[in-house]
Amino acid sequence: MNAPEKVLEEFEQIDFLRDRHVRFFQRTLQVLPERYASLETTRLTVMFFAVSGLDVLDALDVIDRNNMIEWIYSLQVLPTEDQSNLSRCGFRGSSHIGIPYSVKGPGVLHPYDSGHVAMTYTGLTSLLILGDDLSRVNKQACLAGLKALQLEDGSFCAVPEGSENDIRFIYCAACICYMLDDWSGMDIQKAIEYIRGSMSYDNGFGQGAGLESHGGWTFCAIASLCLMGRLEEALSQRELDRIRRWCIMRQQSGFHGRPNKPVDTCYSFWVGATLELLDVFQYTNYEKNRNYILSTQDRLVGGFAKWPDSHPDPLHAYLGLCGLSLIGEPNLRKVHPALNITQRAFQHLQQLQQTWRDNAGTCT
Amino acid sequence: KLFLIVIVDSLVHWADLEPVPQDDGPNPVVKIAYSEKFSDVYDYFRALLKKDERSDRAFALTAEAIELNAANYTVWHYRRVLLQALQKDLREEMRYITDIIEEQPKNYQVWHHRRMVVEWLNDPSEELEFIADILSQDAKNYHAWQHRQWVIQEYKLWDNELEFVEKLLEEDVRNNSVWNQRHFVISHTTGYSSPAILDREVQYCLNQIRKAPHNESAWNYLKGILQDRGMSSHPGLLEQVLELKETHCSPYLLAFLVDCYEDALENNNQKETLNRALEVCEYLAQEKDTIRKEYWLFLQRSLESRFGPSAASGEPLADGTEPPAGQQELS
Repeated sequence: MNAPEKVLEEFEQIDFLRDRHVRFFQRTLQVLPERYASLETTRLTVMFFAVSGLDVLDALDVIDRNNMIEWIYSLQVLPTEDQSNLSRCGFRGSSHIGIPYSVKGPGVLHPYDSGHVAMTYTGLTSLLILGDDLSRVNKQACLAGLKALQLEDGSFCAVPEGSENDIRFIYCAACICYMLDDWSGMDIQKAIEYIRGSMSYDNGFGQGAGLESHGGWTFCAIASLCLMGRLEEALSQRELDRIRRWCIMRQQSGFHGRPNKPVDTCYSFWVGATLELLDVFQYTNYEKNRNYILSTQDRLVGGFAKWPDSHPDPLHAYLGLCGLSLIGEPNLRKVHPALNITQRAFQHLQQLQQTWRDNAGTCT
Repeated sequence: KLFLIVIVDSLVHWADLEPVPQDDGPNPVVKIAYSEKFSDVYDYFRALLKKDERSDRAFALTAEAIELNAANYTVWHYRRVLLQALQKDLREEMRYITDIIEEQPKNYQVWHHRRMVVEWLNDPSEELEFIADILSQDAKNYHAWQHRQWVIQEYKLWDNELEFVEKLLEEDVRNNSVWNQRHFVISHTTGYSSPAILDREVQYCLNQIRKAPHNESAWNYLKGILQDRGMSSHPGLLEQVLELKETHCSPYLLAFLVDCYEDALENNNQKETLNRALEVCEYLAQEKDTIRKEYWLFLQRSLESRFGPSAASGEPLADGTEPPAGQQELS
């Protein structure tokens, strides 16, 4: 009597609710309630989660790409007339400083206006995803702003005024240089030294030297080295094998970020993508991973949460999708595991870069 | 009544300032719907910021702005500028930031702010106790451990940290952050090169494993301190692990065993050692760690390829290195 009902119930529990997720991201891009105030300075990263999420869902047609592109460009910190603020250029996370809306230069002189490395990174990726050709990005200014953020030990701060410094911002910097096809924005050797120094005794990577190894920082370490094209130069085969082992031990059902911590949907991407970059994601258990991610799906409002029966948020919604994409969930676009954009957006980037190289060749 | 006070207050104290609204243009994205009160505070904040005003009213407003959004790093930066420009009482600021961190211990900006104030005061004397209190509420708070490591390293406060670590491990032997801290303390003080220390740590691990066998943190620590110091040559270790295998088995024990055998094979490629390693991989794949079945089978193939009969052919391995000198049969 119960068997067919139970089968149906199980199917319902684990099916992927594509349309709910599309609507979740659409709503994210519109208006968020005041309780999301803490996201103000990082609104551009929230946009990235939603826009890239829609790309993974192959649903970019539901948004007005051109309007969004304009909003992103309004966040660019451009050089002032006298170019005195070059080391502060990049992209802002939002309009919170109060600069009047403008999509073109010259920049406005303001004592506290500057870019933020994670916003420059997500600004560029969002533009790419939306199909923009980056022609209005002041690349030299972005790179100057980036260079100003790197410290002696090779790590990066987020903003020129000063902030904490760690491996997250090395990853942002590596993405920026990779996308702009220009590594003059960072001292690669120093960055590699900092990354190596962040490797823990247990072969994962912490946020910096001596710190506890963690799935998010391990992703930042490995993805950065891959983007730099220095993975096998920076790490020996023995070290890579040890890192593989640390990463693969993170799978419990889904993945957790540290030993003896609970699993969390976002690590299905952070650790999953790292394993993919190290060529061993194929040896993980896809079914258990999928079942966990889907157990955190919010069947009513869409999106994913870190845990089952918890509130979804844009970050977990996006990374949950990416986690599913890694295991080959049908109807999801493939994600570039280092750059964290779809392969489709990545191909657009490659075409753009080819155009830049061709144009550079004809300039002499 | 409070509402009226707020109105009068703004008329009296802010009349000269033109509030600056946020301007997202015609098509805002991810717009946050602020209440009027929220917008008022931040509209005045933006006005002050634009003038770079250095005043007490600006300083007071940063506290309001922080209460509404403690993640706004620009507000914190401006507050620090004012702290210095107005020569504010930094001890009072320590009390303030202590309260805020207690309320919001997972926020990056508050911990960075505390670090700055401690640096300005050049006084870490409250830190270890404060961090211990935060950890008593969440023993794995990454920010707290990061701040703790910074304080200890910057001000050389190593003396009592191992004791702190042991206390926390008694409370929860599975707290990975504490094991990490153990490694941090020892590697920066005595180091692991002396056989006495190394052996003490090995025994400590094994004792903790006896009490709680299914503990990845303890096994990771054990492997971590031995992996470049001769895992397979540590006297008596393999025997102790094989003994534990009977009564305190876990996937971590078995993985450690594989790593011991691998270490042994690198120094002395014996067929018997390889067979044992392959057997443990099989056991992990089929029974003891089936979620990682494919990985253990992959490792098995990899060991076979590196140390098995075919490796004696002298052909370079995939990574370009020479295989170890040909496999030796036990006589």
